[in-house]
Amino acid sequence: MVEVRLESVSKRFGRVVALHEVTLTFEDGSFTAILGPSGSGKTTLLYLIAGIYKPSSGRIYFGDRDVTNMPPNKRNVGLVFQNYALYPHMTVYDNIAFPLRLKKLPRDEIDRRVREVAKLLHIEELLERYPSQLSGGQQQRVAMARALVKQPDVLLLDEPLSNLDALLRIKIRAELKRLQKDLGITTIYVTHDQSEALALADRIVVIDRGRIQQVGTPDEVYARPRNLFVAGFIGSPPANLIPAKIVARSGSACVAIGDTVYCPDKPLSEKLARFQEVIVAFRPEHATLGEEPAENMVSIEAEVYTVETLGKENIVTLLVGATPVKVVVEPSVRPQPGSKLFINVEPEKLMFFDPETELNIEYIEV
Amino acid sequence: MKMAGRNAALLFFLAPAFILIALFYLVPLAITVYVSFTDMQNWSLYTLRLLPNPLFNYARLFHMMLYDPDFVKVVYTTIVFTLVTLAFNVLGGLGLAIAVYLMEERLSGFFRGLWLLPRMTPVAVYALLWYYFFLGSRDGTLNAILMALGVIDKPVQWGTDPRLLPWSAWAIIIYVNVLVGVSFGMLIFYSALRSIPWEQVIAARVDGASTLQLVRHILIPSIRWHIMFVTVWQLLSLLTTYAHIFLLVEWGVVDRWWSSTWALYVFTTAFGLGGGGPSSTYQGLAAAAAVILALVGAGLGLLALRLLGFRRMIVPPKGEL
Repeated sequence: MVEVRLESVSKRFGRVVALHEVTLTFEDGSFTAILGPSGSGKTTLLYLIAGIYKPSSGRIYFGDRDVTNMPPNKRNVGLVFQNYALYPHMTVYDNIAFPLRLKKLPRDEIDRRVREVAKLLHIEELLERYPSQLSGGQQQRVAMARALVKQPDVLLLDEPLSNLDALLRIKIRAELKRLQKDLGITTIYVTHDQSEALALADRIVVIDRGRIQQVGTPDEVYARPRNLFVAGFIGSPPANLIPAKIVARSGSACVAIGDTVYCPDKPLSEKLARFQEVIVAFRPEHATLGEEPAENMVSIEAEVYTVETLGKENIVTLLVGATPVKVVVEPSVRPQPGSKLFINVEPEKLMFFDPETELNIEYIEV
Repeated sequence: MKMAGRNAALLFFLAPAFILIALFYLVPLAITVYVSFTDMQNWSLYTLRLLPNPLFNYARLFHMMLYDPDFVKVVYTTIVFTLVTLAFNVLGGLGLAIAVYLMEERLSGFFRGLWLLPRMTPVAVYALLWYYFFLGSRDGTLNAILMALGVIDKPVQWGTDPRLLPWSAWAIIIYVNVLVGVSFGMLIFYSALRSIPWEQVIAARVDGASTLQLVRHILIPSIRWHIMFVTVWQLLSLLTTYAHIFLLVEWGVVDRWWSSTWALYVFTTAFGLGGGGPSSTYQGLAAAAAVILALVGAGLGLLALRLLGFRRMIVPPKGEL
């Protein structure tokens, strides 16, 4: 168990910059999710930590050890692939024993450790089978066992649940979180699924186009997204983004969203005064719908476009001008498409972004 | 009605292949078997009549195996040439495939191209190259090099000097064939290695495997079917190949009998050998030898298919017929 530290690590493939100047610390024993869309560089980041790729520049440390130029077989990391990458010509037992046999451990110690980890992952009865005779969930467990059996300093997981069906994914997700807490191994988990990241991780690293967008706890990236990308990526459905103008009202800066004008209090209005335009954002679950504007709320008039019924809730899509806005409502609320309604949001739930830099103005120093 | 239509369709699609097989395989096979029961000589049709004892040629071959010193050389040469060349072709092909697999892509392409050159060169040109290389006079490339280096002071008859036989002749014919044959295994093994999922190789690295351990525990076990296939295929083709050896023997750069494999013996017995070769040709005897070779090949082939589990490889087609 060890702390993993990256210092301005970049990775280029020919002219393509896959990762740009990444500086990150994964604390000892922590569970970190690296979250990003496909092609964002998240798997590249994981492979750099595993030693499969060498960084084009920058250094990587495991604790005090500089591992930048160390090959993967010397790093003592456990890696679980999206497709599990079990060795098809070996039984489950041999797959799990493989890392220990390479270390030339005594036979009885190998046997003891294989059975121990098999018990931990509930696959004791599968040891004699071949990978082709296992279901997806079973293969996933074997891959985990193979990664854990060598007692790695760092456990790296590359979308380990994405090949499983939805129900199994939620079940294994909970087991995985418990297992990580019990073993206390520094774990780095790559995923494009934000619900997995929010559910599992102590900390989330949001990455896009090779650059770190935000690092924070699940609460932080959800409640205080650092930029438009994070706001538009996290949440299901993600945050609504509406372009708005800054107008002056009795000497202070106010936000004009369509016909609605909202005048915030002092520190925020001072920040807003520096812009002509902003992007207003709020989460679909933070808004309500009403026939009338609500008191002490920011109310925006909109036309109902469509209603999606999901059982435990409905998602109403409305048009504010030409901008689609989604609102999550109770299952009983089913407005008619075409009808005019007011979207009511508490002022504290509004977020404002600079359209140029895409930064949340909360993070801009005055 | 429906069945009749189905049979007509089957016949239509199978006929071209069947006609070709019949014309170029079954008919010649039948003729060869028939000729082997005759005493045909010098392509004379007068001699093409059944012998009083139709198995005389076969008996003669077995007698030669025991008492004809030249034919004994042919038998030894066949066994040594086939087994040693096979080992080099399979193991060498495997080694080359693994080496180019582990290389960087650009370098790997260059080496693969290089090893394919002998296969792309026409047989006569390729044989001529090695004819000059191993030539016994001072113009032979090998002699010229060794003399320039001062290793030898007069030219060596590499393929025919009795003091070096049979080893030197065997070494030459094996060397010349391996250089062509090894690329077959390399190609098959390389493409098989490339089809191993990349993640499995990475997983093995992360699990702690050195390059040697990766080769031993992951790469070779993953392509064991390909290795068996290439072994069988090469065994059968080495039993019947003679083109390169024939030219080297014909041009006299290697000893005739210590370089004649069974297949070449069949050819030279039936068609003769230029230069100092015998003037008479014996088609009846050659046909009997050819039949024995075909039987040995078929036996080994069937045995190999059993070992390979041929039935397991033929999967019934999915979907409707």
